Amino acid sequence: MIVDVNCFAGHWPSRHLDGSLPAVRDSLRALGVDLLHMSPLEAAWNRNPHQANDALYEAASTFEDVRPVPVLDPTIATWREELGRAVARADVGLIRLLPAYSPYALSDAEELLAAVAATGLAVLCQTRMEDPRRQHPLAQVPDAPIADVVAAAERHPTLTFIVGGASAAQARSLSGSLRDLPNLYADTSQIDGVDSIRLLVEEGLAGRLLFGSHAPLFTPYAAVARVVADIDDSAAGAILGDNARRLLD
Amino acid sequence: MLVSEVRGVLKPPCPALDVHVHPLNCFGPYRLADAREDARRLAEIGKRSGVEVMCVFSLHPECPREPSMAQCREANDYALAMRDAAPDVFKPFCYVTPEFPDESAAEIERCVAGEQMSGIKLWVAVRASDARLDPIMEGARSTGTPVLQHAWLNTLGGLTGESRPADVGDLARRHPDVNIIMAHMNGAGLRGFEDIADCPNVFVDTSGGDPEAGVTEAAVATLGPPRVVYGSDAAIRHFGTQMGKVLGADLDAGTQRDILWNNAARLLPPWAGVEPLEGDAA
Repeated sequence: MIVDVNCFAGHWPSRHLDGSLPAVRDSLRALGVDLLHMSPLEAAWNRNPHQANDALYEAASTFEDVRPVPVLDPTIATWREELGRAVARADVGLIRLLPAYSPYALSDAEELLAAVAATGLAVLCQTRMEDPRRQHPLAQVPDAPIADVVAAAERHPTLTFIVGGASAAQARSLSGSLRDLPNLYADTSQIDGVDSIRLLVEEGLAGRLLFGSHAPLFTPYAAVARVVADIDDSAAGAILGDNARRLLD
Repeated sequence: MLVSEVRGVLKPPCPALDVHVHPLNCFGPYRLADAREDARRLAEIGKRSGVEVMCVFSLHPECPREPSMAQCREANDYALAMRDAAPDVFKPFCYVTPEFPDESAAEIERCVAGEQMSGIKLWVAVRASDARLDPIMEGARSTGTPVLQHAWLNTLGGLTGESRPADVGDLARRHPDVNIIMAHMNGAGLRGFEDIADCPNVFVDTSGGDPEAGVTEAAVATLGPPRVVYGSDAAIRHFGTQMGKVLGADLDAGTQRDILWNNAARLLPPWAGVEPLEGDAA
């Protein structure tokens, strides 16, 4: 079973995308993806990202293979209620943070992280949505520091953290933390470069990587190809789905 | 779906000819003994994703943005050594710099006319709109080889000598009888395609940036299918993720096959020995 821990549905302001939930789902299922952990794409630019969660909840209710991943923002006064709504749903196993877009520092989300830890949900912290060289000139968003996610994972050892959007170089720089912190994982959605995932697997990190597509911003073919091209079936199977099922089911 | 079945779904419908490849000793994750070892490893890595032929160019192991001619010559010797190690796989391009127009013309004479390199590579030392490129373009015209010119429309501003797509359009209009491969489709993006739309001698390679959905379709719609060619920018990028821009695009199978092989095969000189695939009607 292939599990995508990092996909979206919705619109993106700077370019046209076919981001409807059925379209994204179809594009991933064509490559064998069986389970989608999906967030609302509009949340990044919505001044209250919680508003974007409602439409995703409704759209996802039609599909048994789509698990909503609501976006939570600790700078919105009602984040506790929003977390409560997520916890009340049986189909939510993961919440997403977009600290660079609110913006806030992850160190200012301590109360929220402690509250999430108490629920048993996991957290995906998105560090990059777009290459800064390709962003709209009037909408520049710097990457969220990956070191902040590592520090948060150290402070909250009972909370599972997924780094979403690490580059190949960043993933390599994370390898020590991925080995040392049992609650820290990285998704594969932006790990590019020849043999990048192969080298991480050779470092013994196959169990710490989770398949993510970044669809519909990125094409799903690329997401799957980067995982299966250079490693054996056992490691590929772990990254494509086994690790995520163990964590999120 | 089993992993083995996923591999089957991803398998390209034809071999791929990659017009934009750097040696592992430029941007790769491995330290290698020499060009022969580089050629062996890089060919093996490409083959895993279905890449059978690569236009390779070294930018020198230190990748200086304003190289000396000695560094260009060293880079070209390395690419030639890779070609000699695996001539069926590697079709080297000659790296030169417009900062030294006359010496660059001489290097093209040495490497293209003499050693039968298959093209010319220009990077970020001087913008393509600069007249110092003219002797280099004359070398391309006289040898019948394409020029692969780096270009980006960089929101952050880019480098002083870094060409924008508009610079490449200017170059193409000054030299309409030279085929230019404008590198980095995703760097040019939806605005950059318009800068070269009226230049039939400009082709865009699919490399550059992330595998953003919809960009290849936009390039094909703006430029026409024959003017898009597969390029990965390996070793910086992964052969397969960049191929995803083609095989994951909403394009018919014939267009995908042309982008992966035929369009580029028609740009290379006869001595490269790269023919369009059988059944290509163009």
